[in-house]
Amino acid sequence: MKIVVAIKQVPDRDAPVRIDASGKWIEESGLQFAMNEPDAYALEEALRLKEAQGGEVIVLSAGPERVGTTIREALAKGADRAIHITADDLGTRDALGVAKLIAEAIKPESPDLILTGLQSEDLGLGQTGVILAELLNLPHASLILHVEATGTGLKVKRELEAGWFQEIELPTPAVLTIQSGGNKLRYATLMGIKKAKTKEFRAVSAADLGQSSAPTVTLGQIALPSKQRSTQILSGSAKEAAAALVEKLKFEARII
Amino acid sequence: MSAIFVILEENGGHISRISWEALAAGTALAEQTSLPLHAVVIGSSTEALAAEAAAKQVAAVIRIEHALLNAYTPDGWTSALHQFLTANPATYVIFPHTYQVRDYAPALAARMNQVLIGDVTGIAAGPVFTRQLLQGRLNGSYKHASDGPCFVSVQAGAFRADALAVGSASVTTFAPTIEPSQIRTKPGAPFRASAQTVDLSSAPLIVSVGRGIKEADNLPLVQDLAAALGAELAASRPICDNGWLPMERQVGSSGQTVAPKLYLAVGISGAIQHLVGMKASQCIVAINKDPDAPIFEVADYGIVGDLFEVVPALTEAIKSAK
Amino acid sequence: MFSFHATLAEPQHFSLLEKLLFAALVIASAGLFFQRFDPILRKILKSKNDPGFHLAPLGRRIWEFFSEVLLQSKVIAQRPLPGVAHAFVFWGFLAFALVTLNHAAVGLGVGFLDPTGQGFSGWFGRFYFYFAAAFALTCAVSIVGLFIRRFFVRPRWLGEKLSYESGFIAFLIFALMVTYLGAFFTTDASPTARALWWLHTLSLLIFLPLIPHTKHLHLVLSPVTVFLSRGEFSDIPPLANDDDFGLVAGQDLTKIVSLQAYSCVECGRCTEHCPANNTGKVLNPKEIILGLRSYLNDIGPATEEPLLGKYNSQEAVFQCTTCGACEFQCPVGIEHLPIIIGLRRGAVNTGAWEDDYGGKLFNQLERGSNALGISALERDKFIQKEAFPVFDGTQEYCLWLGCMGGYDPKGREIISAFARVMNHLGTSYGVLKKEKCTGDPVRRLGNDLVFQQLAEANLEILAQNNVKKIVAICPHCVRTIQEDWKAYGTPPEIEHHSEFMARFAHLLPQKPSDEKIVYHDPCYLGRYRNVYDEPRQLVQITGTLVEAPRNKERSFCCGAGGGLAFLGEESGERVSHVRAQELVATGATTVGTACPFCNTMFRDALAATDTPPQLLDIAQLIARNLPAHNSQ
Repeated sequence: MKIVVAIKQVPDRDAPVRIDASGKWIEESGLQFAMNEPDAYALEEALRLKEAQGGEVIVLSAGPERVGTTIREALAKGADRAIHITADDLGTRDALGVAKLIAEAIKPESPDLILTGLQSEDLGLGQTGVILAELLNLPHASLILHVEATGTGLKVKRELEAGWFQEIELPTPAVLTIQSGGNKLRYATLMGIKKAKTKEFRAVSAADLGQSSAPTVTLGQIALPSKQRSTQILSGSAKEAAAALVEKLKFEARII
Repeated sequence: MSAIFVILEENGGHISRISWEALAAGTALAEQTSLPLHAVVIGSSTEALAAEAAAKQVAAVIRIEHALLNAYTPDGWTSALHQFLTANPATYVIFPHTYQVRDYAPALAARMNQVLIGDVTGIAAGPVFTRQLLQGRLNGSYKHASDGPCFVSVQAGAFRADALAVGSASVTTFAPTIEPSQIRTKPGAPFRASAQTVDLSSAPLIVSVGRGIKEADNLPLVQDLAAALGAELAASRPICDNGWLPMERQVGSSGQTVAPKLYLAVGISGAIQHLVGMKASQCIVAINKDPDAPIFEVADYGIVGDLFEVVPALTEAIKSAK
Repeated sequence: MFSFHATLAEPQHFSLLEKLLFAALVIASAGLFFQRFDPILRKILKSKNDPGFHLAPLGRRIWEFFSEVLLQSKVIAQRPLPGVAHAFVFWGFLAFALVTLNHAAVGLGVGFLDPTGQGFSGWFGRFYFYFAAAFALTCAVSIVGLFIRRFFVRPRWLGEKLSYESGFIAFLIFALMVTYLGAFFTTDASPTARALWWLHTLSLLIFLPLIPHTKHLHLVLSPVTVFLSRGEFSDIPPLANDDDFGLVAGQDLTKIVSLQAYSCVECGRCTEHCPANNTGKVLNPKEIILGLRSYLNDIGPATEEPLLGKYNSQEAVFQCTTCGACEFQCPVGIEHLPIIIGLRRGAVNTGAWEDDYGGKLFNQLERGSNALGISALERDKFIQKEAFPVFDGTQEYCLWLGCMGGYDPKGREIISAFARVMNHLGTSYGVLKKEKCTGDPVRRLGNDLVFQQLAEANLEILAQNNVKKIVAICPHCVRTIQEDWKAYGTPPEIEHHSEFMARFAHLLPQKPSDEKIVYHDPCYLGRYRNVYDEPRQLVQITGTLVEAPRNKERSFCCGAGGGLAFLGEESGERVSHVRAQELVATGATTVGTACPFCNTMFRDALAATDTPPQLLDIAQLIARNLPAHNSQ
């Protein structure tokens, strides 16, 4: 099975957030970047499928030069080769624009399966995989926890809301977006890092993949939320505190 | 004529709560733009749902109906809505931000050369749509910058459904053309994780109990609370060590790591071994009699008090709120 | 009384036939010895070279050889009774070396010790025979004692199976001594003397070829092993090159490892003190070494056959808390920690080790800043809340928080208490805005990739901030920064907060009381760093020091080390519970610790005992007596 995994490099979760001069994005200098966690699960699923079925895992990522470290990490974990879509202006493209780049880069590979994480930890759009399927005219399923190859296609386990699941069968080639937590992630090893150095690492510039069209959706301003997370102590009698808590859970946390 | 279309979803035979919230968002947008507000229901048999929607203050209700829309498939929904929106030009298409919408709305938008503005928490004048970035550490303001329809999905709880006004709208039906071959995925029936195996890691709500419960005989107190919430019961290590609850319910460094929407810690002081197992929870509530207990450091809401009083009161409050 | 009118036990008049027979036997015995010893020697020499090995400093090696081999210091100190018995046997052998040479020379008619002679040579001969006789006597008594211990007392760590071979060798040693001593009671030419001579000779010639394939190989090898140790305690070697991932296969075994594997005397001291083995786990450090020996015997070095599998189990290797009791105890110079950690490196660096908890820990440390997987923002919040000064290069000390000090609620209490002590002393200090885990757990678990990342990142942070001196509350941090980071740069000076406070003990509140405080020696402070007195000194200015039965160098682990704090539930009994019970049994009302990991392990373990004493770090013991106005 030939699998393409589209991964994204995102700012580290612990990174301090400072808004840059433009007011449209965060200050990236001095930030640490890491592989988007759901994408790490997509990579893990791809590697497991390859180990079970044989085949090839191609990792693909778009972004500036710094993305190379994340791509190498994927190679170290076991991907066979890599495609880096070099682009310094991803921020000016909307989800469709980025997906078009990725789709163009994937087309010549004609993979049996395209995996990507459910969503990114930075923008959190959760759309790239689904749009890719549309652009490539492939069937898809999202929020997938487990993938099994059947003789004719795939059987996948999809997460529904409130603790429910569903099995879906679909033919290949297909696109799946992978939910975190379906597998345990493997760790990078010294041996993997050393092997990764000899693997194919191809760069293709965004300009070579087609013209960028004007975005249909634009991010105007960003702002820090007015209220940072802090503990609210609910006082009063047991009854009053309990009532206050239910109110908070319903309308502030919106959980129950 | 252009309009706002709100796509409603069904849950347990009725329009889901979050769909009503999406309708509330649509109402707000309709007020801002003076565009007519239409509600849309999709399925193979939508009469009852349409009737529910028609009882709200909307200009019209549209039933998109086809036998192949019996069960949700992204191909079916995308195709049906694409045909509908092609025939009925929209300015805004509003969805509830559900797992189902996340599965097809981006493709639908892309098919119309648009991009969904997803998981919106607020709509300001403009309209400017607010959504969270960096996992809630930032808010971003989005604008639609194209001639085509603007697709928006709204986050659960962001709009108040209880403010919807009643009305009586007309109901029309739209029949899309769908071939069986167009539906490429075959969905199975929904199922729950087996009741025998405790899978805390996928539980959306968890009530967890610690040493503060004092004796095994007091456990029914928290069991009742968990039942009232529909939550899984978990525990810190000493409880499982004592054999009061089975080991697979242990949360922490030597047990399971969980990240539910709600983690309600009862009588847990918050040793590091426990914290590392639950710190990623979306909302943490702590009930403990010690105001200095470390669990309060990570909690969003805390009640300092005797759990033997607070827990029964909370169980009652939850029951009456449901 | 016997006298030297005869040449003691040395019949001078062997027939040619006897001489030929004797020569033939010597050749046969020596031949057999070399036939068996040669393949061992070849295996050791065929093993790869030890990366990072230096003979210097020679002085220390000579001293260790003198102390541990010649004086038998470790053998005696750690097991006094059998230790002394062993020392007498050993010294007996040394004293006998000259006698034995002479004995063989006599057999060929060229004896050189002549007790009947005139002048110095006669005097020396007489002196030496009596001298050796004294040793022969103590040796004979000792070997009988050791025999009784092995065959009748049967301590658990000697193994379940009785070693008849050891019994036979004990018999040979006994026979050697008796035949030597017996000769004092005969006359030179008597048939008894002749018989004794031959019995002595035969005992010797049978003993010699038995050496190479029994544990008595240590007679030959262990002096070399002690002399050629890797060096420091738990000295983890650097990886030699791009193809070195630790101990993966036979080809990774180094000369020192192979030498050590063949040196094991199977005394079981390592097992006796191993916390994992004592709590029902698979790990038995002695079996790890013997497993390697079997591997070398069956498969040999320079092969690609995995080391873990048939001969040693991965499970056992990952149960080690790296407390180092085994390495500390070993009388023949075996360095267990580099071997066990080497086997882990082999498994982790190649990805062969699959463990949910371990994988999670590695992933957390690949990405995040701490072993607990908590957001670094939580550390910032703690620093803000406590209003700790931020290190800016002007302060004398950098207070290293570590993962436990920065994120663990209990560890934070220790940091806060220590900060109060430093405020009281007027020390200028600051905390770093950013620090990462020192890499201790990944270092001990054998993940060289993540360890290198963490060490390099931290060294860079320290250099940027111009840090010259660090003080830390965690012995694991101290050890890792001071020793393990050396592979990637030059770490600043670092000390443990107990050492820091002890230096200023005279300026700290002196409030000795009747409160019985039992002090638990953390492995990484004690065995790893030789700090035993400083924390005790501090305990004594706040209460009455009580010792646990196992203390100082023989302290029993809390179970957290070696990354095990992060690996989930242990099999068998919990190490922390065993130790907690021991601490409670001292009757102390307070348990004093000096390591946040020990602290966190004992927190639960003590609570599970009937009368839990309070648990305080030494910083907390001191801080509680500080005047209140210093409590900001």
